[in-house]
Amino acid sequence: MKGIKKSQLSNFLQQVSAKYSLYVPAQVDGVTRFQKYSSEREPFLTANTQLSPKELFFPQTEQLYCYETHKQEVKVEELAASSEPQVLFGVRPCDMQAIGVLDDVFLGKGYEDVYYRAKRANTLIIALACSQAEATCFCDSMGVDPAFAPQADLMMYETEDGYLIEALSDQGKDFLQEFSSALEELRSEKPQAPACELKAETDGLVEKLQKMFEHSVWAELSRKCINCGTCTYLCPTCHCFDIESKTRGGKEVKFRCWDSCMYKEYTLMAGGHNPRPTKKERVRQRFLHKLQYMPERYGKWGCVGCGRCIDKCPVNLDITKVIRELREVEA
Amino acid sequence: MNQITQEMRNLAKQLLEEEKVQLVMGWEKGSFWYNSTPVFVSKVEDVDKLIWDEFCAANLATYLLDDRFSDEKIALFVKGCDSRAVNRLVQDKQVKRENLYLIGIPCPGMKSAKAAKELGQETKEELPLEDKCIYCTHHNPLVYDILLGEEVALDDIAATAEVSRFEGVEEIEAMTPDERYAYWQDHYSRCIRCYACRNVCPACNCTECCFDLGQTWLERDVTPTGNQVYGIIRAFHVAGRCIECGECERVCPMDIPIMKLNRKIAKDIEELYGPYEAGLDTETPPPLGHYKTEDPDEFM
Repeated sequence: MKGIKKSQLSNFLQQVSAKYSLYVPAQVDGVTRFQKYSSEREPFLTANTQLSPKELFFPQTEQLYCYETHKQEVKVEELAASSEPQVLFGVRPCDMQAIGVLDDVFLGKGYEDVYYRAKRANTLIIALACSQAEATCFCDSMGVDPAFAPQADLMMYETEDGYLIEALSDQGKDFLQEFSSALEELRSEKPQAPACELKAETDGLVEKLQKMFEHSVWAELSRKCINCGTCTYLCPTCHCFDIESKTRGGKEVKFRCWDSCMYKEYTLMAGGHNPRPTKKERVRQRFLHKLQYMPERYGKWGCVGCGRCIDKCPVNLDITKVIRELREVEA
Repeated sequence: MNQITQEMRNLAKQLLEEEKVQLVMGWEKGSFWYNSTPVFVSKVEDVDKLIWDEFCAANLATYLLDDRFSDEKIALFVKGCDSRAVNRLVQDKQVKRENLYLIGIPCPGMKSAKAAKELGQETKEELPLEDKCIYCTHHNPLVYDILLGEEVALDDIAATAEVSRFEGVEEIEAMTPDERYAYWQDHYSRCIRCYACRNVCPACNCTECCFDLGQTWLERDVTPTGNQVYGIIRAFHVAGRCIECGECERVCPMDIPIMKLNRKIAKDIEELYGPYEAGLDTETPPPLGHYKTEDPDEFM
């Protein structure tokens, strides 16, 4: 199979970055996330990134448009929807699955989000198979193969001396063609998929949860939650946003920014009513969204088992434990 | 199992059976060997969830704010930092002392869960302390109804030796304003505004937080400037009430050195108003919460 020798990786990345806007996982200012490639920036490929690649399609803050008013006239200026062709290198199978979930939300069901589409349609994704699972990984319980990402354009496998690479989509094939001079025949075999130690039993979970909206278990489960937004902001599939505006020098700018169902303000209505007044309702919403509503609407889990929330939750409100407890209680 | 864990369970059982309390707040083992997490026990059959180990860093007093005006009787395990948080909340009239049964546990300092995860279980004996425990000056609980275990001598050491409450603060004091701006800009540019620092903080006890009031005080777009404004507003809101438990920094998913800011302000308060540590008792008024004629007023 064709591939890139480890010693040639930066050469390959440089060639790609000369033609495309290239993003690689990297550690910058103490945080690992997808960053624009530069030759001084060593890609971080030993584990998954702290922040998921969703911010490249759905940034935490995104300016949409701005407008100015002069007497009776309004001038509107579009700000978003840049469409530079970009390449994402080193997306893990869980995160690729998550991008598929975001595609369903932002591009499916008859409504296309123009801001998301502009970036997504111009992006080629090179996924990287995992060769080891971290303690917080449980993607194989959520329908993800840690060593294969079918929705990616290209699939890459790390071996001892290099990275095997194969095209999964037509765009992927074209890309391999384009950079064929940077590839060479590698003799090594694809590595075996790692097994995740952490497990979540999900059989029959959707049907069971359909009967559990009013269950007392939610009050118990949510007790230790501090209602911060860590889980939702690190989650590669969480996609809620708020739209607000601000005035800057006579111009009004409309922007959207991530929002979190963990926040009191999220469901606060004009007049002061809040249909999710306590953490019980907010925690229930988060888990039902991932484990019932998403499967009902899109036929796939809203959780891809990346384990970021388990790793960073200040109080260790572990979704695999939640799933276990939901299974154990009587519906 | 260690002896404290056994004593915790026995005592919790007794308190619940005798209906002295309706709820016991403590810690249980989390998903991994390196995390212990808050647990709420209201049934006798659940007391065996309770544990005491080197990872019980979470400050439980914050949870008293969940239902701050209830008349439920609650038993709460308190380390030094937790006990100071309770004092603060009682002093701010957020909870009634008579509704609390405080079970003190002297704390030798908790081990760093982050380091544990990176270094692996075989290093368990040599793990470094949580950052927040390095500069702790009150390992023994300051207020309790019953004490489990022996008081540790660490507080005497802290009072006399080099255990500096303000360690590292001089680094930012030595910076020029531009350097300091760049330092905080670097750190706060990665803030994701998850508000974990605020939500875990026992000094953040406003019933309505200014950051939850739409765009009244701070816009919701996440920008390096906005994030710094968030950090500064929060630091000044808890000034003089921060009990230096370091929970904000411990829970920050982006590893922002929040306590450096809080401890800088605590140091300034000491320099301006004399020795003061928040939450040591419920009587001493916080220096920024009252007025004395001898207070410095060089700006007048």
